[in-house]
Amino acid sequence: MTAYIVRRLWQMLPTLLGVVLLVFVLFNWVGGDPAYILAGKMSNPQQIANIRAQLGIDQPYYVQLWIFLKQIASFNFGASWSTGETVSHVLATRLGPSLTVLVPLTVMETVIAIGLALAVAYVRGSLTDRMVMIACTVGMSISILVYIIVFQYWLAYKMGLFPVQGWGDHFFDNLFRYSALPILIGLVVSIAPDLRLFRTFFLDEINQDYVRTARSKGLSEPRILWVHVLRNAAIPIVTYVMSNLPSLLIGEFLIERFFSIPGIGREVILAVERSDFPVIKAITVYVAAATMIFNLLADLLYQAIDPRVQLK
Amino acid sequence: MVLRKGGWREWIAAGATISVLFIAVTAGQTAWAGPNTATSPADPHKVIHAAFVAADDGFDIARTYNAYSIWVAESIFEPLLTYDYLARPAELVPLTATAMPEVEDGGKTYIFHVKKGIYFTPDPAFKGQRRELTAQDYVYTFERLLDPAIHSPSAYLLSGRIVGLDALVARARKTGHFDYDAPVAGLSAPDRYTLKVQLTHPDFNFLYAVAYPALAAVAREVITEYGAQSGAHPVGTGPYQLSQYVPRSKIVLTANPDYRGYIWNFKSTGSAWDDQLVREMRGKHMPQVGRVEISIIEEDQSRWLAFEGGQLDLVGLPQSAAPIVMDGDRLKPAFAKQGIRLYRQVLPAITYTLFNMRDPVLGGDSPAKIALRRAIAMSYDIDKEITLIRQNQATQAEMIVPEGVVGHDPNYRSSIPYDRDLANRLLDHFGYKRGADGYRRLPDGKPLVVHLTQEPDSLSRQYGELWKRGLDKIGIRLNITVSNFADNLKAATQCKLAMWQSAWQADYPEAENFLQLLYGPNIGQGNNSCYESKAYDALYRKFLATPPGPARNALVIEMNRQEEADTPWILGVSPVSNWLVRPWVEGFKRHPIMESDWQYLDVVKH
Repeated sequence: MTAYIVRRLWQMLPTLLGVVLLVFVLFNWVGGDPAYILAGKMSNPQQIANIRAQLGIDQPYYVQLWIFLKQIASFNFGASWSTGETVSHVLATRLGPSLTVLVPLTVMETVIAIGLALAVAYVRGSLTDRMVMIACTVGMSISILVYIIVFQYWLAYKMGLFPVQGWGDHFFDNLFRYSALPILIGLVVSIAPDLRLFRTFFLDEINQDYVRTARSKGLSEPRILWVHVLRNAAIPIVTYVMSNLPSLLIGEFLIERFFSIPGIGREVILAVERSDFPVIKAITVYVAAATMIFNLLADLLYQAIDPRVQLK
Repeated sequence: MVLRKGGWREWIAAGATISVLFIAVTAGQTAWAGPNTATSPADPHKVIHAAFVAADDGFDIARTYNAYSIWVAESIFEPLLTYDYLARPAELVPLTATAMPEVEDGGKTYIFHVKKGIYFTPDPAFKGQRRELTAQDYVYTFERLLDPAIHSPSAYLLSGRIVGLDALVARARKTGHFDYDAPVAGLSAPDRYTLKVQLTHPDFNFLYAVAYPALAAVAREVITEYGAQSGAHPVGTGPYQLSQYVPRSKIVLTANPDYRGYIWNFKSTGSAWDDQLVREMRGKHMPQVGRVEISIIEEDQSRWLAFEGGQLDLVGLPQSAAPIVMDGDRLKPAFAKQGIRLYRQVLPAITYTLFNMRDPVLGGDSPAKIALRRAIAMSYDIDKEITLIRQNQATQAEMIVPEGVVGHDPNYRSSIPYDRDLANRLLDHFGYKRGADGYRRLPDGKPLVVHLTQEPDSLSRQYGELWKRGLDKIGIRLNITVSNFADNLKAATQCKLAMWQSAWQADYPEAENFLQLLYGPNIGQGNNSCYESKAYDALYRKFLATPPGPARNALVIEMNRQEEADTPWILGVSPVSNWLVRPWVEGFKRHPIMESDWQYLDVVKH
């Protein structure tokens, strides 16, 4: 196991290097020149040159790339070009709000989608199954923006069930008061595709011989579904959930903007608007690294779920 | 919001207020109270809930020109001068200076006297000592603006203006170290409370620069202590201090307990709005509001619902919401019934589309090129932009200098009309003939294609459609390029964009702030049209040397006519801002230059 983990971590390096190169090329190709933004309305060439020198963007590309690599190795991406705030502080303060929404959302979304998918897989082909699938297709066809606007207007403003927007100073206040509606919207948006996907995983298993055997041995249907079928369908579900987690962090930006949640997604948008490269680079690299680490965790979970899986 | 109930504290506060009023009245003084004799009168239970449309970039205004940073900083830091709250056009008044400066040497030397007994809010950087504001703080603040290490976006305010300062900057560029202890011939503090500034040339706008937030006093110890993090640790002498700062989310200001205060005694301009303000506020010991809670709410719907739901006490109305809330320029009855008040103001700003005067197709001084630019200008339907895109929340800009800025003439009318027939005739006359496809060609027979550069947002797309419709009508093919703002700004500064839509809002209320955008030597630093006109430049230099008054204003008109003759710009609009204010907020009036207004407001029991 340890050897496997070490080998996988080692294999991440070339992948990460590829990501770093891609990010570096993209920033320098389409990122815009931040010196002109920072210089203000009445800049002159001397000021621009001074800013470029201070930011290090007047250096040859190979020097800039080397600095970037050193930043990654030292986990020190410097300071935000627009606010002077250290990037580590930016990440540390923005990650909490994002996770406050993301963690309960992912847990609830996965549990609910599994439960519903098992239920409709069990009654596959029935009117209920077909109605649920139609509802899922309709739900998936509607943009998240529509859900946000409608739910914010009706549930928060008109009915007063939630605050329209905001973020407090205390964890439980944020979790139960300010995150409730964003989580609800996240659930409504994500359950439909999850349900459809998980249903196919369960259908693949429900027709297997071991299920027939279990039934012939007289096991109860709940036990067959929740223990045997779920366990065997868990591997693709874990793969799906784990690979989705890092991208959700940034994908949340619309919810964060509409509900004024000071999270990572919103920070990325602001950083892009301001050509704030240190913040963008740090978040991009960390998300890439997180994706690889979550994939590794998923592989490790496979073995926990199914001891027959050999990690080589 | 809960107001403190009556009690013996109220009586003492009332007595203190009456005493201060009496002293102020008998001393014949109207505005800022004397040296630190009283603590702030602000009531911590009076809270203003406000929202910003975009996030700030910290509150070190030497480092940023972010409007929301300035908004907060204006209530924490104090320049020597500020603006009268009600006077229009905006008028300068002393703030930490005892009076307006003494001017000597034919307008080249300014002497300011700093009020005694003004203190910075306590901070660990002061090591437990009470820190008084002195003239040396302004010397440091002025110098810091030009420190190359700060790369201040406001450096242009002082660059080339103060005797000896540019030499110090040049030395700093060579050595990599700005020597704040080196004497500067034109910037000194002869004594603790006197600041002497010697300019390289007489400058009638220097005092506007002095009132700019980037020249509000900062303490050297604080900047040294916090370094690059100074934006998160603002320590000033103003009415408010930063109590809580959650970047990108929330800013909480509380009244500076040591603030010296002042009596609200501004003069009405004669408008009904001002008269009501004076009735509400006259004689109050300010600031009244003890706490300001600012939320960053970027989305229009969220901000609007937060206001309607009672989370906000005042809100800038999003342009898209104007038809929902307003009938013409009045509030709809449903909102008026709630006691909500609407404050409308034409911003001291202009939008314009620039032509690159060095562009091979559009640039140049020949009659044919001028005719082409003018025809393009005449094809653009500005009324449609105002009614359809801007929801009637803008007025057409007739001259370069907008309303509310000294030099603006309300009777001035542009000589370039919206007239597509005339545009077509003009193009025909100068040999821009239509081809078989209906589109025109250059007089030499080559295809005529104009390139407009825009940003990737929905508003720009709408402007693009309007441009295309207009240019199609006069047979000119339009090619729209979309790129990010940073790249567009860079290309425009380097005279590489053919046409680009831009805007300018007044930094100070004087025509020069706008006219300099077309001054030839400013190419590469604001003159993005790359316009060089001997006639315009001569007028501009004459304008700079002319003291404020009718002769100077006449030169503004001449420069406008010269600009129209050469047509490096197509003037657009001056936007209108609409503010909705809950009935319990008193004293509200948006200032055209200052952003911060909380120190002028009161919140009544509701």
